[in-house]
Amino acid sequence: MISSRSILRRGLVLLASAATVASLAACSSGTAAVPGSDPSASAKASSLEEVYANAPVADAAALISDSTMAKIKARGKLIVAEALDAPLLSQQDPTNPEDVQGFDADLAKMLAIYILGEPNVEIVPPASETREALLANGTVDVVFNTYTITEKRAEQVDFAGPYLESGLAVAVRSDNTDINGIDDLGGKTVIVGANTPAVTAVPEKQPTANIVSFATDPQALQALTQGRGDAYVQDFTLLASHAIDDKSIKVVGQPFTSEAYGIGLKKDDAQFKSFINEWLKKIQNDGSWAKIWDATLGSAVESSAPTPPAIGSVPGS
Amino acid sequence: MDFFASSAGPIAQALGTTILLAVSAGVGSIVLGTLVTAARISPVPVLRWAAFAYVQFFVNVPLLVLLVLAVFALPDAGFLLPLTPTAIIVLTLYEAAYVAEAVRSGVNTVSRGEIEASRALGFSLGQTLRVLVIPQSLRAAIQPIGNVMIALTMNTALAAAVGVVELTSAANKLNLVEAQPILIFTAAGLIYMVLALAIGLTAGRLEKKLRIRR
Repeated sequence: MISSRSILRRGLVLLASAATVASLAACSSGTAAVPGSDPSASAKASSLEEVYANAPVADAAALISDSTMAKIKARGKLIVAEALDAPLLSQQDPTNPEDVQGFDADLAKMLAIYILGEPNVEIVPPASETREALLANGTVDVVFNTYTITEKRAEQVDFAGPYLESGLAVAVRSDNTDINGIDDLGGKTVIVGANTPAVTAVPEKQPTANIVSFATDPQALQALTQGRGDAYVQDFTLLASHAIDDKSIKVVGQPFTSEAYGIGLKKDDAQFKSFINEWLKKIQNDGSWAKIWDATLGSAVESSAPTPPAIGSVPGS
Repeated sequence: MDFFASSAGPIAQALGTTILLAVSAGVGSIVLGTLVTAARISPVPVLRWAAFAYVQFFVNVPLLVLLVLAVFALPDAGFLLPLTPTAIIVLTLYEAAYVAEAVRSGVNTVSRGEIEASRALGFSLGQTLRVLVIPQSLRAAIQPIGNVMIALTMNTALAAAVGVVELTSAANKLNLVEAQPILIFTAAGLIYMVLALAIGLTAGRLEKKLRIRR
């Protein structure tokens, strides 16, 4: 079953591959993982306000009558499946539940502005095991959830994008010196998030690794620091942002996969898909994509915003 | 459907873990639950209160909270057990409270006259419990205990959240690759249903055989 999964090794430039672990460790605490927890956060928020103010809005002609976008416009809100506990991607502010920030969350607001003229988003926290079902039965309009595009999934849902590329990397406890990357994980106990690509990617690279999966990212991190596993495999940017805040763990080696994230849409809605791809091109060309990256994921890595992936550049998109 | 064939091995292994969890925690909780009931009806006030507090605690705290606490908080206090034994212990402690309530409902079916008779015959408290009250209570409570065992089997699914690779966790993993949530979780649901039916039917037959006819 593993071999049937297409792994996207296309030599594409990995997100933030320029950032080394050493430079991350040297970062000051000014780049905190959770927006709002550091003094520069207000500056970031206001810079995004400017992005929102200048966000592209679709022409009335683009909202073809009877199309999904026209229905969303009539409803007055965009219903999005996104996480509430993913730092820098889609994180809910515990003191202000209305405030969800991060790369996925801010892009979802931009899409809402494009359709509605205002960032009116209703969030359905995805049980990520049922994203396909949420789309198929119309519970949500789009999925913004670091949703890796795979050909198997593309049989069930449509993917706009990819809108972001990243890769899986390895984190260990800071006192660990034996593990320097994925190649050292044979025979080791490896912690993964229950519904992440790591579940299948790690056994592919290291068949002898013993996989332990936890439901959420915070649980997996806790398990790593408590010694329930030797390493934690997760998206590079997520790990990097954790490593800045938590000196008891470190990221070792470079990302070893290339994950292309897409915006999940209901199957066979070509109109809506091309509408969203148009929007993605617009925000890439006007620089707002890069500004959002800088304010969110970019705050965890020491490199400028990467070139956004080309629309439709991976199988399944 | 061919993916079901290719993933049969991991699914069977995960089902084995589910059954291991259910059987070990089932046996453990029946033993512990019966002891708790014995404490609850004993004439020693401290034992009665302790048993009462035990039942109230475990009936009123969600199982998932207990599992997360046991897996993530105990290591900070210096206890680091492997995941599956941790899940079995938590399930046993939790379900024992429900077993205790079921057995206590059985105790109420033992007539006062019999207990008084046993006293008159000079039985000690331990003897009264062992030969009179507990066997009768268990036989009267077979069906409710069976229901607790069914609930326990369903509750093993929560162990997936704390890293135990049981049936639900394996279904999750399969779905991650195949992206067929409705098909896969329906199949997993049917397996749970078969397990529950097996327990229910066994309890029914046991009850028919062992019921005390009054």
